Amino acid sequence: MSSVLEYVGVSRSFKGVPALRDVSFSVGEGEVVGLIGRNGAGKTTLINIAIGLLYPGSGDVRVFGLSPTGNPVAVKARIGYVSEEGHLRGGRTIRELIAFHRGLFDVWDDKVEREILDRFGLSVNARISRLSKGQRRQVGLLCAVCHRPDLLLLDEPASGLDPAARREFLEAAILLLNREGTTILFSSHQMTDVERLGGRIVLLDDGKVKLDRELDRVREEMFVAIVPRSSVPDAGTLEKIPGCLRVRSVRDEWHVVVEGADEDVHQRLKSSIGHNGIPCVRMPLEEIFIELVGGTRNKEIA
Amino acid sequence: MHIYITRSMFIVVNPGAELSIYRQIMRQIVEAIASARLQAGEKLPSHRELSEQLVVAPLTIKKAYDELEALGYIETQRGRGTFVSEKLPKVDKSDQLDKIEAAARQLLSLAYLGGFQLPDIIKILKDLDRELTTAPVRGKERV
Repeated sequence: MSSVLEYVGVSRSFKGVPALRDVSFSVGEGEVVGLIGRNGAGKTTLINIAIGLLYPGSGDVRVFGLSPTGNPVAVKARIGYVSEEGHLRGGRTIRELIAFHRGLFDVWDDKVEREILDRFGLSVNARISRLSKGQRRQVGLLCAVCHRPDLLLLDEPASGLDPAARREFLEAAILLLNREGTTILFSSHQMTDVERLGGRIVLLDDGKVKLDRELDRVREEMFVAIVPRSSVPDAGTLEKIPGCLRVRSVRDEWHVVVEGADEDVHQRLKSSIGHNGIPCVRMPLEEIFIELVGGTRNKEIA
Repeated sequence: MHIYITRSMFIVVNPGAELSIYRQIMRQIVEAIASARLQAGEKLPSHRELSEQLVVAPLTIKKAYDELEALGYIETQRGRGTFVSEKLPKVDKSDQLDKIEAAARQLLSLAYLGGFQLPDIIKILKDLDRELTTAPVRGKERV
């Protein structure tokens, strides 16, 4: 699988405050990758670097093998981008906006345009200033996909939308996936959306890649063990368990995230703690997310 | 609610559930086959159709179908689509019986804990049997 987007050791600071630290991962052709992480983890910075809106401080980013800041036109012609803010510039009505965007690209797919307008029930005469938040995002998607991009970058495309608008947006994204097999990198706080779009997840924590896994592996090969602090006073013992991703202090318990096959994990826990009977469960994505990046009371084990 | 519903099949996915989506889909198709709502040789929806209907990634559908095919429940015929296997996988009966017994034990413990009696359970089983073996009716959604 050739890689469409590649980050190699990317770091970036703003006024001396590091936003990204040595981030490396790539997105292969046809892959759908969900970028997750807390607010301020660096998701938007990472996407902006791929579009060429920001330079990486150090490291390298390649889109279709090109530098997005070195070859801005060639790169932008092949990517589509929808931002959280949903800026729509270039026209007062949807018709004007479409005409403006059409003029930017060599290719414009009228069929996709028609399909998205119909699907969302948008009128080309509608004034941009009168659109709802959800409609603005829909128009944003339209402008981002009609030039048939090879890579779609969606920065929290569904945030702030009501559940129905969110689902409609998701339906349109799934439609595109089926029709075009577009490569997608999207960031989201909605774990259920991440599950629906599927593929792989990259979890950013404080500017670093904390986890990069197939979604199904996270769902099936990641366990959370609840260990009373009375039985293991020191977090260090638990951190040494093979496959341990995090030890989090929650009241009088340790929450230990361990990766591996079901029986394997139980065996490892047993040999580390010395006895059986530690509750160890599979958790939904949202819970795993919280266990991996959620707050802890003991700073030293964070 | 995004569901896939036909005379012979009823699929609904819940992304927040413990089971991953492709396994939820696998389970519901196996259930439909096991209860003979889906007959041998019957055509399954295409990846695309199911993906758009359930609003889940096409690759997730592909994974569910691939695993079901590897297990022998369904087969893909090039250019024609995916069908329920004519020859369903043989299940080791005694092995299956062990599993049923274990599940029944768990079921009864749950019932006794909740203060239910055997007749209550039998009623639930009968209702479920009816539900699983009769075709869902359009407009009357079960969740």
